[in-house]
Amino acid sequence: MRTVVLVLALCLAGIVSPPEVSAGRYNPRVGQRHADFTLPTISDGKPVSLSQFRGKKVLLIQFASW
Amino acid sequence: MPVWHEATRDFVKQGRLVVLGVTQEQHADRCRLFAQWKRFDWPILHDPINVFQSRAVPIVVAIDEHGIVRSVRPRPDSFERDFLKRTFKDDSPGGVKLIVDKKDLRLLADTARSTDAARPWRDYADALVLWGGHSRVDDAIAAYTQAVKKNVKDSDSLFRLGVVFRMRYESTSRRAGDFQRAVNLWGQALARDPNQYIWRRRIQQYGPRLDKPYPFYDWVKRAVAEINSRGDTPVALAVQPGGAEIARPARQFIVERPKQTSPDPRGRINRDKVRLIETEVAVVPATGSAGRDFRIHVTFIPSRKLKAHWNNESQPLRLWVNAPKGWRVSRRLLVARQGPAAQSKETRRLDFEVKAPSTATGITKLKAYALYYVCEEADGTCLFLRQDITLEIRAAEVATVKHPSRKG
Repeated sequence: MRTVVLVLALCLAGIVSPPEVSAGRYNPRVGQRHADFTLPTISDGKPVSLSQFRGKKVLLIQFASW
Repeated sequence: MPVWHEATRDFVKQGRLVVLGVTQEQHADRCRLFAQWKRFDWPILHDPINVFQSRAVPIVVAIDEHGIVRSVRPRPDSFERDFLKRTFKDDSPGGVKLIVDKKDLRLLADTARSTDAARPWRDYADALVLWGGHSRVDDAIAAYTQAVKKNVKDSDSLFRLGVVFRMRYESTSRRAGDFQRAVNLWGQALARDPNQYIWRRRIQQYGPRLDKPYPFYDWVKRAVAEINSRGDTPVALAVQPGGAEIARPARQFIVERPKQTSPDPRGRINRDKVRLIETEVAVVPATGSAGRDFRIHVTFIPSRKLKAHWNNESQPLRLWVNAPKGWRVSRRLLVARQGPAAQSKETRRLDFEVKAPSTATGITKLKAYALYYVCEEADGTCLFLRQDITLEIRAAEVATVKHPSRKG
């Protein structure tokens, strides 16, 4: 049990990679640094990263048009 | 999201806030149209393969100037007081973990080829989808296939492989069976993780009305009309949503126009033996239990090899569906929209629903036929032809899955 807890804690801290079995889960936690990402924009496909807005407050909205 | 757009518009104008959207929809252009309609002027990023691994949307997260999460699902009415007006300290330990990065495709390919692990193949495939463009779709399919071969439990790769097959189905490099492969893979991924609502929605988008939480793209027509009325040009969509994608949810199976008659009951019309029109069938879901509803998609493509094209000066393409005993069909006669000019080469899609009887098991073959006017080559012979189509539906006993909520 202690081993499981330790592995989970290390995964959450980003020290070890989670096992690549089933789907992972996006789970932002208050007080933790948000993981960085780079994705193409829907308008022109150019890359945009969260980290390029460092120094500014960001409201990240994941949504669908339906 | 219009609520948050309204609530934050002034803060964005004042330079106090950056709003950053992410959408997991299959089609970026549809979200562009939505954003144009709702006048969203903030950047929206496209994550069709769900590298975020989000389980359902919407998700709203407030991130401070140091990149630290300060609120998950904040409230619009207290957002300024609780987040914007506050100054935060950089008090989170640890470095920045990556969800996904824009990486060198060649380097990722070399890394994948040099290992026996699944994850490098998935990373390479992800990068090909996000940054490789349409010309790398085949490579992305090959890379995800490697990832799945090396780890059959990788449900993320199963879903993402399905997304890329659907992308190829809608492209000029389409191959027979692409849409059904996408549906099969999405179903396999969801069977492994039934609480993944991003994946579930992708199947429901094309699935029967009984499974739908809402009509997915019924807003498109209204959006186009309103944008036009503003004097603007609406974002052009590569694939116009129709049929299942705009169908309203239903609580029971609905038979529309039950008294239609077969347009060629004795089969007298000549068959399209050379396949001037190529057809493809996809069944959603790929497999279901006896008694359930299925959405059947039939795609018609004029053969490029034979330089075929639709003749739009006569009757439109029609599809007639026969149902075996005990099976019900939502609409037996379907009619496709004609092309804009006298001749055209566009792909046409028709879809309808069937309900399997409670006694159905194994594969049931439904017979259908299409009637169409088609021309062999530019200024060549135009013919009125029939094509017989077999629809194979797999009904099998499957484990019942509980759906705790309909969010996302």
